[in-house]
Amino acid sequence: MNVATDLSILSLVVNASILVKGVMLLLAIVSFMSWYWIFRKGFAIRDARAKTEQFERDFWSGGDLNALFQSAVNDRHSAGALERIFEAGYREFTKLRGQRDPAAIIDGARRAMRATYQREMDTLEAHLAFLASVGSVSPYVGLFGTVWGIMNAFRGLANVGQATLAHVAPGIAEALVATAIGLFAAIPAVVAYNRFAHDIDRVSIRFESFMEEFSNILQRQLK
Amino acid sequence: MNLALEQREDPGKWASAALAVFVHALLITLLVYGIRWQTRAPEAVEVELYRAAPAPAPAQPVAEQPPAPQPAPQPQPKIEPKPEPKPAPQPAKPDIALKSKEKPRPQPKAEPGPEPDKATRKLIDDAMKREQQALAARKADQDLAQMKAAQAASARSKAAADYIGKIRGKIKGNIVLPPDIQGNPEAIFDVVQLPSGEILSVKLKKSSGHAAYDAAVERAILKSSPLPKPGQGDLFSRGLELKFRPLEE
Repeated sequence: MNVATDLSILSLVVNASILVKGVMLLLAIVSFMSWYWIFRKGFAIRDARAKTEQFERDFWSGGDLNALFQSAVNDRHSAGALERIFEAGYREFTKLRGQRDPAAIIDGARRAMRATYQREMDTLEAHLAFLASVGSVSPYVGLFGTVWGIMNAFRGLANVGQATLAHVAPGIAEALVATAIGLFAAIPAVVAYNRFAHDIDRVSIRFESFMEEFSNILQRQLK
Repeated sequence: MNLALEQREDPGKWASAALAVFVHALLITLLVYGIRWQTRAPEAVEVELYRAAPAPAPAQPVAEQPPAPQPAPQPQPKIEPKPEPKPAPQPAKPDIALKSKEKPRPQPKAEPGPEPDKATRKLIDDAMKREQQALAARKADQDLAQMKAAQAASARSKAAADYIGKIRGKIKGNIVLPPDIQGNPEAIFDVVQLPSGEILSVKLKKSSGHAAYDAAVERAILKSSPLPKPGQGDLFSRGLELKFRPLEE
């Protein structure tokens, strides 16, 4: 039971050169951050979808707009994005109601809704760019660590007269750990980015169609 | 209104941090325990075959022969089998011969007793058999020991060759060949090294006839200090004789 080569992951990391260690550390931090944001964005988007559905159900069940507005104002901190858009639009609508020009009233309400919509989309999309850049850059960073490690392995090989595979193998293995970490950071980030971008697109379409429909309802109220 | 927007609740801040930690812990456990990182050398890689040494060959047939004729001579007078076994052990080993000499002694003693023939015959046969077995066992032991010694010697010589190869390899890497060497002359150097591998002295034992090459090799040897150490400590030798040729390997 003699161990020919002890290539445990720990010894590979410990024996790596300082630059490769730095790359690995950087990638580990990036990987942690990206997973943190994956979970956080995942929760946030799921939450936004659930609240949107809830509000749409409340809205189309034919309740009084004033009552809906009051409840939205009351629990503003737990309100969903769509509820906030509704609240902003209705608030502007009630403020402008005294005016004579109906088109100006509807335009004002729409502008208020659009502003809130932009803000909500911005919060939903925040940090997605981070996931995208982790997905595209961290394989290269890992590759850089690997290339550097292999360069060192071969340079060490030059000092050995009779070169065997056993001389290079540990160096290459430890260098490849950097690529492995890079890929581990990148793959989930890319998958999560694509999925979140898609989900946010769908939510934004729902918001936009709600805004259109709500403007129609407000216009009808003016008559 | 804008202030209210900033104050929104943030779902799952700590939960996602905990989950991220969990995912990485999972990955690390998978890496550490999931994969067998240690490669084990396959056992008993070298097989060296030896033919049985020629010496035991003549003894063995003799050892085998007696059991066959023994059943037959039992009814016969006992004198016949005796000479047979005696010459058998004698050529093989002196100490066995001594033992077999002892055996005939009980025979005369047994003769005066009643029914001497069969009892003594049995005794003698048993003794013979035992002795032959012991002889065979000893032969086998000897063979084994010889084989082991040969194996150890070959392993040792291999390790020694490996050691010299390592040293030569290191030095060769440092040789800067002068451009105008003709032929493939051999230069022999006597190198004295410390146990740490540092070089004490380099002496040209036999010149290659090309002064520049001699000088280049000498420089390379000095540059290679400390020399690589042998795998087994006992292979170290203070004085080394190293031969170099410009065009080998």
